[in-house]
Amino acid sequence: MLSRGTLIYIGQRTVLIAFTVLAVSSIVFLGVHRLPGDALFSERMHGNEYAARLHYYHLDEPLIVQYRDFMLGLVRGDLGESLVNKGVKISPLVARELTVSAEVGAFALLFTIGVGMLFGVVAAIRQNSWLDYLLTTTSVIGYSMPNFVIASFLLLLFAVWLGNVTNGAYYFAIGWTGTYGNIGEIWLPAFALGFPYASIVARLTRASMLEVIRQDYIRTARAKGVREALVVIRHALRNSLIPVITILGPLVIGIITGGVVIENIFGIPGLGKEFAQSILNRDYNIVIGVFTMYAAMIGVANLGVDLLYVVIDPRIRY
Amino acid sequence: MATPILSVRDLHTQFFTDDGVVQAVDGVSFDLFPGETLGIVGESGCGKSMTALSIMRLVPEPGRITTGEVRFRGEDLLKKSPEEMREIRGRDIAMIFQDPQSSLNPVLQTGYQVEEAMLVHDKVPKEKAAERTIALLKQVRIPAAERRVKDFPHQLSGGMRQRAMIAMGLSNTPALLIADEPTTALDVTVQAQILELLEDLNREIDTSIVMITHNLGVVAGLCTRVIVMYAGRIVEEGPVERIFDNPQHPYTWALLRSIPRIDASRHERLRSIEGLPPDLIRPPRGCRFHPRCPFRVERCFTDDPVLEDVGPEQRAACWVTMKRAYEEMGARELVDVSPGSASGVHSAAKDG
Repeated sequence: MLSRGTLIYIGQRTVLIAFTVLAVSSIVFLGVHRLPGDALFSERMHGNEYAARLHYYHLDEPLIVQYRDFMLGLVRGDLGESLVNKGVKISPLVARELTVSAEVGAFALLFTIGVGMLFGVVAAIRQNSWLDYLLTTTSVIGYSMPNFVIASFLLLLFAVWLGNVTNGAYYFAIGWTGTYGNIGEIWLPAFALGFPYASIVARLTRASMLEVIRQDYIRTARAKGVREALVVIRHALRNSLIPVITILGPLVIGIITGGVVIENIFGIPGLGKEFAQSILNRDYNIVIGVFTMYAAMIGVANLGVDLLYVVIDPRIRY
Repeated sequence: MATPILSVRDLHTQFFTDDGVVQAVDGVSFDLFPGETLGIVGESGCGKSMTALSIMRLVPEPGRITTGEVRFRGEDLLKKSPEEMREIRGRDIAMIFQDPQSSLNPVLQTGYQVEEAMLVHDKVPKEKAAERTIALLKQVRIPAAERRVKDFPHQLSGGMRQRAMIAMGLSNTPALLIADEPTTALDVTVQAQILELLEDLNREIDTSIVMITHNLGVVAGLCTRVIVMYAGRIVEEGPVERIFDNPQHPYTWALLRSIPRIDASRHERLRSIEGLPPDLIRPPRGCRFHPRCPFRVERCFTDDPVLEDVGPEQRAACWVTMKRAYEEMGARELVDVSPGSASGVHSAAKDG
């Protein structure tokens, strides 16, 4: 499967991702430095304290020098220091937060693809039955509702009505130690994040399955005496996935960016929460770091989706 | 003669559409004997493919077999449970489809698709199946079969794909092979190879073949008996030489007359059959061919003809028949359309 052509393609794309990340961080760097407002200034400061702080972060140097230092740091993987919390290095911070976001995102994606496909296939093979109508209606509700509405409703249901919460700390103790909740609890934010996308996947899978199941090669499989379950799983499903993969790219990006909202609602200390927090704190260095991480994540996700085509459809080779 | 391997009686397959009920197959009956090659010919939409799919019980939605009997080795297939039917499909009755481009699964390896036909019926042990797949592909003359089994359908040529389809159909040495226009999508040279292949296989493994085609040349070359279908019904049946030499139904006569001939004079125009096939939701009263028939009489407008003996083993459903048309209506006889000769019509000079 990993032919030479595919490896070359992965290499090319990786180089492209690296350049994209550099370009995004440059634009954000330059943009942020044009913004009004200041994280370091305080009316309670005395004497040359403000100048000292500027000097500490090299903010008193010409922009071009700062940019050069930033770029040199970036290629070494060093995103600098937090402006608000002196001494806190940004790289390990966002890297840790990335693993949290990735975990939530991965579960949301698993939910999206797993449940979406399952519902789509079931609705298609039971076309025009009550089950089909139920699933189709559910998916219409799903993609009509924004994820923050679903998230708020879930909190209302589980936290308030069912009272299944401890002191508002849903998934983590305050002063997070690097682990949170149990694996069961992650399904709540994953559901809120993935449900709208699962609905889209379900509808698309259903439509594509209905088309595939009428193809000549499905008739061929039946004429061979293949069992109906195997006709669906082995002959129809893979073919019906091809159009589904096409929307997987935008969908994964939707899950990554949707994580910003969901993490803030559920209080998950991931990249998305940091993203909102750092902007409110005017912690520009972190803003740049978070943006850089997002750029890298989206680049890698897109590459992953493009490689999925090769796995699913033998007619596609890079 | 021996007992028929397949015996279809009064088969009705209807499509329940929003516009009404389409009578796709309307009371078809025929027998197929062991080792025989039966041709079913007719225009597009005359119900020949639906007859085949009805035998397999693979009629697509919204179609349904409403009445009739399909006796295979004495047992009515229409009374079988879906699971029993699944076991028969591919094992005892195999079908080859028209378009090799779309009839093979694009995401599965060709070899696997052939192998699967054997594995689902446990006819061949798993270890042997791969070996037999290669042997089958060699038998249908696919070059470098050992390498080709790993290829996906898009990596094969149209002819090779059709051969793979045939290999799939033959993998369980079925008693009956239904070939639905197996050569239509192929080049003429490849067509000839595929037909030769089917002929050899018919001889070698003694499989009965139902050959569905609109190509009379294919019928002439391959079949022993032929059924002519029009608007969901059989209008004529008989041994292939009889049908080609002395057709009795005006539709058969017109079909044979419409074949281009290599030795026709250059000024002669191709003769088509006037008009269009009837609407099968509201078929014409009386004989279904009467609106297009050059020899219709009054009775044709009101009474539905049934199949009657018109010669040795030959039956036609016509109130007039060509015998009368030649004698009383000045119809021109067909000359030299027998199998092997250049098929088609004679020139006007010959029947003087």
